[in-house]
Amino acid sequence: MEISPDAWVLYEWRGLQLNATIVFTWGVMALMVIGASVITARLSEGETVSRWQVALEVIVSTIRDQIAEVGADEPGRYLPFIGTLFLFIATANLLSVVPGYQPPTGSLSTTVALALCVLIAVPLFSIGERGLVSYLRTYVQPTPLMLPFNLVAEVSRTIALAVRLYGNVMSGTVIVGILISVAPFFFPVVMQVLGLLTGLIQAYIFAILAMVYIGSASRTGHRADAPPPTDTGE
Amino acid sequence: MQIDWLTVAAQIVNFLVLVWLLQRFLYRPITEAMARREARIETRLSEAKEARAEVETEARRLREKQQELEASRDEVLRKARQEADELRTALEDGLRKEMEARRKTWEDHLEEERDAFAARLRQHAGHQVIDIVGRVLRDYAGTDIAGQVAGTFVERLADLDAEAREKLSDAARRADGRARVDSGVPLDPSARSRVTRAVNEQIAPDIEVAYGEDDALLIGVRLTIGEQTVEWSATRFLGRLEKTLDEVIEGSGRPRSGRAAATV
Repeated sequence: MEISPDAWVLYEWRGLQLNATIVFTWGVMALMVIGASVITARLSEGETVSRWQVALEVIVSTIRDQIAEVGADEPGRYLPFIGTLFLFIATANLLSVVPGYQPPTGSLSTTVALALCVLIAVPLFSIGERGLVSYLRTYVQPTPLMLPFNLVAEVSRTIALAVRLYGNVMSGTVIVGILISVAPFFFPVVMQVLGLLTGLIQAYIFAILAMVYIGSASRTGHRADAPPPTDTGE
Repeated sequence: MQIDWLTVAAQIVNFLVLVWLLQRFLYRPITEAMARREARIETRLSEAKEARAEVETEARRLREKQQELEASRDEVLRKARQEADELRTALEDGLRKEMEARRKTWEDHLEEERDAFAARLRQHAGHQVIDIVGRVLRDYAGTDIAGQVAGTFVERLADLDAEAREKLSDAARRADGRARVDSGVPLDPSARSRVTRAVNEQIAPDIEVAYGEDDALLIGVRLTIGEQTVEWSATRFLGRLEKTLDEVIEGSGRPRSGRAAATV
């Protein structure tokens, strides 16, 4: 039984392997971009709005509201990054009901890549918000003695992000595989439904935690005033 | 649990591409569309507010105009009432004056009628008195009234004082010796000759005397020489009768003034 879609190599050319993770990621990307472009190509600003447009507006405005609730002053600034994190993870997880599909988020490579993106985005957004010197000073606050601990916290929460998402999605896939071999009927369906819920929750948790990290780093003196939020891993 | 770092790099690239694509095809169009719609809704709301404010202003103006109209209506009513009161007062005054004038006219007319009645009554009563006196004199004294009148006149002429007699003599001279004697009752020739003789003896010896009758004298004689006149008549007896009659007429003409006025 394949645990990770990374091991499912579909094409190989001069040592470069095109595995299922990348292919399914492309598939998810294509689906999202085409769907979005088709819907936004006929945007209405009048009285009557198509239900697809309404759905997209609800999704986008809800993401903006969530970003604002976490504490960002300008939700539009973080919307592309945080919104894409959530939409990509959620779409990738929800598509797991499609037979033959393996969610790319079930690959540790994908989750590590997303966590690395967050790891890089946090200082970038923070430096853009408050400047390089002010950002670097947060690592030596309240005292320079805290510098190693701050660095460890930075790395550990990135690893936690990656492993949390990977573990949850992969476990769902593995559990469904095991149940299919043990009890082919009924139970796998229940677990699939449960997997949909888990997938959505994981997408929400990943995006919100990323926004919390970015927001806490961007606010002046926040690191000294309040500790980083504790992880709510499953 | 294995990590394919090549896949990690590819996924990082994939994710960044996806961020760019979604920003291009999803976030920007949707947020812009929402912003435009909100702007348009805001515009329409502000337009509606302006229209409402305009309508409220118009309504306030109309209310004020209505209040002005009501106020002016009250003013017009007040003026109309005042004019009506003035007109009524003027009409009442006119009516009062007219009634006063009619009453005055009626009273004047009544006065004239009373005077005429009194004159007729006096004349009639005089004739009656003369008739009665004459009849009484004839029946009980055996003389006629004309002779008595002439006798009385002769006696009075004889009793005239010197000054009056002198005036009559002067008048007789200026009047070319003509005198006139009027009597209420016709004098017979003997009475006339007695009067003529008395005039010739007392006033002027050669004066001519003409005789005439005047009903107004009733019982009496009047001698006229030029502008001088000597008169004796029963008029003063009738004066009292006339006064009594006047009082009676006054009482019957104003019955509301009380019976006491009639008995005065």
